[in-house]
Amino acid sequence: MKETTKILVAGVGGQGVVFLTNLLVKAALLADIPVATSEIHGLAQRGGSVTAGITLGEHTYGFLEKGGVDILFGLEPLEAQRCASYLNKNSIAVIDENRILPYSVNSGNAAYPDIKMFVDYLKKNINKVIYNVESPEGINSVQRNLYVLGRTCHEVDFPIQSEFIKKAIAEIVIKDPEEKCLAAFMLGLTKEEIIVESK
Amino acid sequence: MENKVADILTSYSSPHKVSAIGNEAVARGAIEAGVNGVFSYPGTPSTEISEIFNLVSNYQNDSNKNPDDVKNATYFEYSINEKIALEKAIAFSIGNKSALCVMKNVGMNVASDPLMSITYQTIIAPLVIVVCDDPGCHSSSNEQDSRYWGNMASVPVFNPATPAAAYEMTKQAFKLSAELRLPVIVRTTTRVSHTRGMLEYNEINADKREAHFDRMPEHINIPARTATAHQKLLDKLHSETVDPFFKNFNKVHFQGKHKSTAIISSGVSTSYLLEVISRNGLEDQLELLDLGLIFPFPEKDVAAFLQKGFEKVLVVEELDPIIENAVRNIVQKQNLTCQITGKEESQLGNTGEFTLGQIDQVVGDFFQVETIGKTGLNGVSAYDDSLPPRPPALCSGCPHRASYYALKLIVPREDNDVILCGDIGCSGLGALPPLKMIDTINHMGMSISMAQGLSEALKSKKTKVVAMLGDGTFFHSGITSLLNAVYTKANMLVIIFDNRTIGMTGHQDHPGATHLDKYNEIQIEPLVKGMGINFVETLMPFDMKDTYKKIDKAMAQEGVSVLISKAPCVFLPDYKEFTKQDDKIIINHAKCNTCHNHYDHGISCSKKASSGSNLTRAIAKIRATERVDSKDQSCPANICNHGFFNSILEKDYKTALDMVRDKLLFSRTCGDICHRPCELFSNHESNATIPIKQLKKFVSGIDENFNDFSSALNQIEQATPKDKHIAIVGGGPAGLSAAYDLIRDGYEVTVFEKEEAAGGLIKYVIPDFRMDKQGFDVEVSQLAKMGVQFKFNVSLGKEMELEEIANQFDGVIIAIGLGKSNELEAVSSISKSKKYDSMNFLKEYNLKTLAIQPGSKIVVIGGGNSAIDVARSAKRFNEDNEVILSCVETESAMPAFTEEVEHAKEEGVTILANSYVEECTEKGDLKIKLHQFDSKKHLQDINCDYIVVAIGQQGNVEEYATIGDKNLTNGNKIKADKYNGFSNYKNVFVAGDICADNHMSLIGAIGSGKRAVIGIKQKLEGYKYSYEGLNALLHLNHKEKEGAIANPIELEGDITEFIKNFNLFQSCEKCNHCIDNLGCPAMIKVDGKIIIDEPKCTQCGLCIDVCPNDAIAWEKELELVNE
Repeated sequence: MKETTKILVAGVGGQGVVFLTNLLVKAALLADIPVATSEIHGLAQRGGSVTAGITLGEHTYGFLEKGGVDILFGLEPLEAQRCASYLNKNSIAVIDENRILPYSVNSGNAAYPDIKMFVDYLKKNINKVIYNVESPEGINSVQRNLYVLGRTCHEVDFPIQSEFIKKAIAEIVIKDPEEKCLAAFMLGLTKEEIIVESK
Repeated sequence: MENKVADILTSYSSPHKVSAIGNEAVARGAIEAGVNGVFSYPGTPSTEISEIFNLVSNYQNDSNKNPDDVKNATYFEYSINEKIALEKAIAFSIGNKSALCVMKNVGMNVASDPLMSITYQTIIAPLVIVVCDDPGCHSSSNEQDSRYWGNMASVPVFNPATPAAAYEMTKQAFKLSAELRLPVIVRTTTRVSHTRGMLEYNEINADKREAHFDRMPEHINIPARTATAHQKLLDKLHSETVDPFFKNFNKVHFQGKHKSTAIISSGVSTSYLLEVISRNGLEDQLELLDLGLIFPFPEKDVAAFLQKGFEKVLVVEELDPIIENAVRNIVQKQNLTCQITGKEESQLGNTGEFTLGQIDQVVGDFFQVETIGKTGLNGVSAYDDSLPPRPPALCSGCPHRASYYALKLIVPREDNDVILCGDIGCSGLGALPPLKMIDTINHMGMSISMAQGLSEALKSKKTKVVAMLGDGTFFHSGITSLLNAVYTKANMLVIIFDNRTIGMTGHQDHPGATHLDKYNEIQIEPLVKGMGINFVETLMPFDMKDTYKKIDKAMAQEGVSVLISKAPCVFLPDYKEFTKQDDKIIINHAKCNTCHNHYDHGISCSKKASSGSNLTRAIAKIRATERVDSKDQSCPANICNHGFFNSILEKDYKTALDMVRDKLLFSRTCGDICHRPCELFSNHESNATIPIKQLKKFVSGIDENFNDFSSALNQIEQATPKDKHIAIVGGGPAGLSAAYDLIRDGYEVTVFEKEEAAGGLIKYVIPDFRMDKQGFDVEVSQLAKMGVQFKFNVSLGKEMELEEIANQFDGVIIAIGLGKSNELEAVSSISKSKKYDSMNFLKEYNLKTLAIQPGSKIVVIGGGNSAIDVARSAKRFNEDNEVILSCVETESAMPAFTEEVEHAKEEGVTILANSYVEECTEKGDLKIKLHQFDSKKHLQDINCDYIVVAIGQQGNVEEYATIGDKNLTNGNKIKADKYNGFSNYKNVFVAGDICADNHMSLIGAIGSGKRAVIGIKQKLEGYKYSYEGLNALLHLNHKEKEGAIANPIELEGDITEFIKNFNLFQSCEKCNHCIDNLGCPAMIKVDGKIIIDEPKCTQCGLCIDVCPNDAIAWEKELELVNE
């Protein structure tokens, strides 16, 4: 692992941005990695955009900057695209094709961006893109986030070892059955026929 | 949350490392300091602190969970507002219990009154105030800098940079407060409160305080004491007591020898700087002074730091240059030479939040080094610029949305007659699209003050002002303002959205909370009634009809009125009682965005898709007391009566007229003489019908619109030329209606007319007292302007032969009417000067060539509409004329329209029904022997001057003999296919009275003309649809509905007011109402179709009442209907 890793989690209120952030914090603590976060979630419950920064390593405090993110977790494609300026040529972007249409799109006053075009742009310009278009059956939104996290751990040299993430799931999950959450993570982690978009 | 609490509660002894957000760290610091009581009003970014104490307190006060120590449990309350919170915290301290008071930045404004005076007096036990600022206004109405309160109120202020610092400073703040006997402020910002970092928890102070009250002169604030108290206060602040705290919290990082540059910073800026310095390896080049205790300003420490001899000093702080100014002050006082780089020089500015990247750049510029600032991707702005924003919205199922929606149905937003004053909290989200039901939002509780002030200011205007606020905001600061409104006799409506919680910040308790035994629940209705407000009503917002009624009624009240819209927040457990958890909402796509008026959606429709017009339809759905299905009032010309009616409701009379003209040219003429089958055939059970004819007369009567035929001309311009030429024989209403449809569809059209002008029976036979003749001429004259060619004075069978034109043209429509009047044998011997048939009588009447002596006695024979027209014309020709009408039918069986018969009688025509002319002789005047028709007995003898025979017409077969006998009826009418008017001869179609199945009426003629056009289109273009008005057209020959005539609705006064009780229902293709006007997040549009996002749907059922197309329903209820 390099000295510091900066992760940006982006999504929509209610999607699990805060949950995923807390999970990664827990996993980092278990792995004895210094961790800090910075969140803005005042109006999260009302369906607005939510982002959280997670920084791993000494001398970081959870703060992110444009061009300074190593891993982007976009739990919703439009929100991922909104964070594009935080990426640099070495970044990894994980984009889950789990669209939530904002009102302006619903009402026809704005167009949802062409995500395929954005993914193609990223493929040419950053280190790696994991564009998840699969939704395993019987999975809720929290578990879907874990599935995507599993896929990411499978595909890239994730700074927190999977075993700590598994332990963290066991500790942090409250509402959902723990086994289902673990299973979702493992499904992403071990699935063989995962298609990874790589430069 | 439970975990966090457990964590905070259980780690009593041995120090251990944790990860916590700043707010958790503050709470833990206070717990370790042994806080006894916590008082708070929730507000982001401070809320988590109070939430932790709420849980801690509930836990500690639970004798099951905490059996040993309940008496020492921490007291916690969500106070009614910040002022009360601080006052009660002060009182707690006076009672020798330590207190913590927590609020957001703007809360301190409310709490400032007690703060400003207590400092002149004394507290006893320590009192710490935590204020969380929000640079960047993530969730606040301003980004005020709370550090000023230190200077303003003369209280110490800590300003932590990290969660660890926040923890330590909170803990020490209690200590400092105890030593100074002054409140101490810990001020954080969003980026500290909501940042997670590592820190170490330590032991909890186990010393128990004994509560007591000691009488002290300081507890009484009187002016005589305050002057000296002020000096004592300043002495406290500058005493040596503070020094150790300065030492602890004003730290120098990277100390070294002979450095020429330094940075002074405070708060989160220090964290940014530490990261930037570390990653750029600048530790050797500078010293960094982090100021944690910023008031009283650590003048000695800063002076000592500056005296180290730096050449350049950078000051970094968010918001106002408070530290910078103090540093400059010291530099000047100490006569130092160092150069200060402050906000102006670094361009960091006084607004918003700093970012890591910004600090990196400023540091790079300051040290003139190339920092490893991050670079983004090339061309990224093409992707992240101008993306659709995602603002927060009211939750799906939110009762506020229901209230706002009902208000939207009542309050027109186009004018400024109603001003809507909103307030802080979830209810403020009603300002966002699509609801947009708020004109002002200020600060907590201002809605009620704004409303009473505006209504006073605008007193002379017709303005109604409405204040709208949540229950939390009402309790916080609305009550006193409402009292002021009552007392000053304001004129306003207050709507309180009572969802029994503080929603926006995450459902904290307030006086309306029901779900905790700990609090007394306060009901708003008796509270406001107790203020002396007469009009107070509580409504349940999901009952849309009732909500509409109550808001409508309340809007009309004078003085102060209050509506309480009461339903729990979707996050409260009892919300479920208001919804159907065991059912599911489904959308019937056969009704959603579907037009049932046209099979062929290519047919022109003047109804524009607009959220305003759909809103009108939605209003009708909720407001109307009579709901009529539009298909029960269908028109043989298939006018979209639904769209027509709703355009009038919307006061869009031009569109209403255009919707008529989409189907027929003769709108004003129909308004005059149509026999309104759409009304008479209504199957509506309550007999209620929409007075379509009178409405048509109304919209056609607006000359400006009437004379504007541009919509039809546009249709012609846009039509694809068909390169086919159609001949229409006969320029009456049937032929002209066919011409109107064909020319707008891209056909070439020539009309052949035997008279010298077009118009047929309408022009020559219908008397002028029944209709606006000039208006009809205007309507007819449009056709020539539209490109229809006319050939006048040409008769079939004389100047041209049917076979010939059938060969010449691509299609022919015969609409020549009935050319021959039926003759009455009994009058055959009467001389021509005394005898008329109805046609020539009416023609002479209309052409004003009728030569009848005044005071004549005229007998009209016949019971049809022509007979009635003759009788009425004869009477009107000279009022001294005596007119008798004899017909074989009984009066109720007369073929004439009942209304016309009634008019004739009113005008003085004598009707002798069930009679016939046995004999008519001429001896100077005429002598008629009338017999009773059924019994054949003699009835009476009449001497008269004229007899008019009006017993119908038949076709003049000579004109169209080539068509063949087998295609004719025995009245010489031409048989035609009932679906398309085809005559069975070549390319000839039939319309109007000459057509065998035609109903002898204006609308019958129009409908059959339109039907023949469909026949032409089917034949020439392979058009696949049937005639859209076929059912209503064929239905014309049915008997009129009995009784419908008895009480025709008379329109009175404001026509749109009058019809407000009706909803003429039909689904419409141009509907996007739920998206345009409601915006429930659980309703989304995918590929043009509205669908319910089930995981988001709360089963509140609001959308069912909202849908003007009736396309949304409960699944179970629908199953019942289907069974």
